[in-house]
Amino acid sequence: MGIVLTKDPVVEGEILVDGASLRYYDSMDSRGERNPIVLVHGTTGSTAVHYGYLFPMLATRQRVVSVDLGQPAGELTIDSFRRQVEAVIDHVLAGQKVTLVGYSLGAVVAATVAADRPEIIENLVLVAGWAKTDSQQLLRNSVWNALYESGNKDALAQFTVFCAFGNPFVGARTLDELAPAIKAVNVTEFGAAQMQVNRDIDIVDRLDKITANTLVIGCEFDQMVPKRHSKDLFGAIENARYTEIPSGHAVVFERPAELHKQIDNFAADPHRHPAGTIIPTVKP
Amino acid sequence: MTTHTPLLIIGTGFAGLGLAMKLKRQGDNDFIIIERSDDVGGTWRDNRYPGAACDVPSHLYSYSFKLKSDWSRVFAPATEIWEYMRWCAQDEGLMPHIHFNTNMLDAAWDETSKLWRVQTSQGEYTANVVVTAMGHLADEKYPAIEGIESFTGEKFHSARWDHSAQLDGKRIAVVGSGASALQIIPEMAKIASQLIVFQRSAPYVIPRPDRAYTEAEKRRFARDPESMEALRSDLFWGMEYNYAQRRGIPKSIAEAYTMANGHREAQVSDPEVMKKVTPDYEIGCKRVLISDVYYPAMQSANVYIEASALERIEGNSLISQDGNAFEVDAVVFATGFEAIEPPFAPHIHGRNGLTLSDYWSTGMQALDSTTVAGFPNLFIMNGPNTGLGHNSVLYVVESQIDYIVGGLAYMKERSATVLEPRPESETDYVDEMIDRAAGTVWLTGGCKNWYVDYRTNRLTVTWPDFAYAFRDSNGEFVPEHYATA
Repeated sequence: MGIVLTKDPVVEGEILVDGASLRYYDSMDSRGERNPIVLVHGTTGSTAVHYGYLFPMLATRQRVVSVDLGQPAGELTIDSFRRQVEAVIDHVLAGQKVTLVGYSLGAVVAATVAADRPEIIENLVLVAGWAKTDSQQLLRNSVWNALYESGNKDALAQFTVFCAFGNPFVGARTLDELAPAIKAVNVTEFGAAQMQVNRDIDIVDRLDKITANTLVIGCEFDQMVPKRHSKDLFGAIENARYTEIPSGHAVVFERPAELHKQIDNFAADPHRHPAGTIIPTVKP
Repeated sequence: MTTHTPLLIIGTGFAGLGLAMKLKRQGDNDFIIIERSDDVGGTWRDNRYPGAACDVPSHLYSYSFKLKSDWSRVFAPATEIWEYMRWCAQDEGLMPHIHFNTNMLDAAWDETSKLWRVQTSQGEYTANVVVTAMGHLADEKYPAIEGIESFTGEKFHSARWDHSAQLDGKRIAVVGSGASALQIIPEMAKIASQLIVFQRSAPYVIPRPDRAYTEAEKRRFARDPESMEALRSDLFWGMEYNYAQRRGIPKSIAEAYTMANGHREAQVSDPEVMKKVTPDYEIGCKRVLISDVYYPAMQSANVYIEASALERIEGNSLISQDGNAFEVDAVVFATGFEAIEPPFAPHIHGRNGLTLSDYWSTGMQALDSTTVAGFPNLFIMNGPNTGLGHNSVLYVVESQIDYIVGGLAYMKERSATVLEPRPESETDYVDEMIDRAAGTVWLTGGCKNWYVDYRTNRLTVTWPDFAYAFRDSNGEFVPEHYATA
């Protein structure tokens, strides 16, 4: 049942929120210098899928908690996910300030949590997130949905990889090399429900309630959530700084080590760059 | 006669040349570089054995501040890397600064004059500041083999290849199974009548995605240098990804096994060979090597793998630990380098005459991997915890260059004659190294590797983290770690 994330044992738990059974993971680190990191995955993801690399590597330096979002009994909205993340934080990290990290849809969720609970979300990292769904996203979402409804799983998987990975990444690989990524695409009913939630995102009015030290990370070659959305978040959140990674939307697979650097640097010292800074991309 | 210079750099490998380039570019001409050989290039001047190449793609294994658009291949051969270094030295005007055939014999801190007195094969130098840039892989390591002197055929170390030796059609032995051996064996298999490989432990080997660059690509790189930077970035972060294997992350270890085992199974059909080339330790504990021609060579009809260390030599007979004897005409020792105990350390005397090797008798250590308490005005490049098993070591070298340039500027700014690391800062740094290294595969993987000090079981050669973390930690000089006078 469990997944093996790190060499050391990771505590797994479950809680019930709005009828949804949520699984969470906790590296239970007692080194207390940094705020614990809480990870929120993206659409059709999970801790294992989206944070299989980041969770254990971040956990080499500090405590990491991750949430597997669940399907509630009633209607699914962005606030269902917001309540789930808040419930896990309250359950696992009661009384502690946290560094909340969200990726893609998880970034949208994380932003709503930070707006709702500014007293506990001291630091916030939004990776490839957005505030309001635009026409480009809606067109992609509609094509995705048509493929999903058609039952053509192969086409859906190819379309997903085509959109998720950056064009330089895809273009530099043979179809054989991309086959495992295509094969790994697996859409559940819950995943499809998340795609519906993605159509109606509009959290613009909440962003000015975010007080957390915020790092916004845009992905240069993102075709799913183009980086202009990250720039919008950078503009809208008062205490935000911005950086870019030369990757597609699937940065957790394309450039996980670079993403690790950005998150780990920020978690270690959120004030290193003042609000409003564009942090230059690393040139190795 | 004594030659005085404000700054003496020892060595003209990637470290020494890179530092000199950075100084020169900022208008600092007050330095001398001494070089024991008659040309620049360090390990790439020395290691020109057949098949020699770098395991890091050339567009990454080159200076970020001196890009080369016309690399012939993804993994350029060693001679091309050497040519690149010669070009750097010429093009950047470094040649007049280099004193060739000048071997450092001894360097001692003179407390009275606040200078380093450096004895060389060409006389004495004095310098306010000394930078040792002598490399991890500079001094070859010969195993202590009983009877080695009784061997009358050709015998040499891979780093001292005798290009005049006639090896065609001979019976050749290659001793070793590390990075050099892996490149030499396929070349020797082509020309030997019989090739015996003495292999103490089998390496993990993964595919080597090499190819030639087209003329069009080279011209694109030249016309659009940003495309070279983008490629560097892809290569760097792609290699950086693999650090998770060294940390023993289960998912990454599984990926590494899939790749290495898949490569071996795809290339090895002979069950006897398969048994011998299958490693018996955790992947990553020794360097994971790259080759597409190694396994095919190991299965050639003229190649025999002796899966046992070479124990002794009697005349032209090589006898393994397992007791098997092989008559050969030539022996190549691909037995690596002295990395744990740098050969220069006994010749560096700090305060009160203490040698660096005495100070390091329980293992190498330095503040920020670069300076040593009790050894004022001395910077060490490629010293303690600077090696990388998973990425380009030039990234570390460039970080050290920035650190040293910062340290020199700090001294100038304060008109300091003495810059000395605070012992407590060094101790903190060593503790941090121990902390970072805990749980890495080098310490837990059940193998003998050249990264861990045999005396204390402390990881002293390799940097125990992502490469990027080296620059985060040591890419800038930290004045608070130092006392000045």
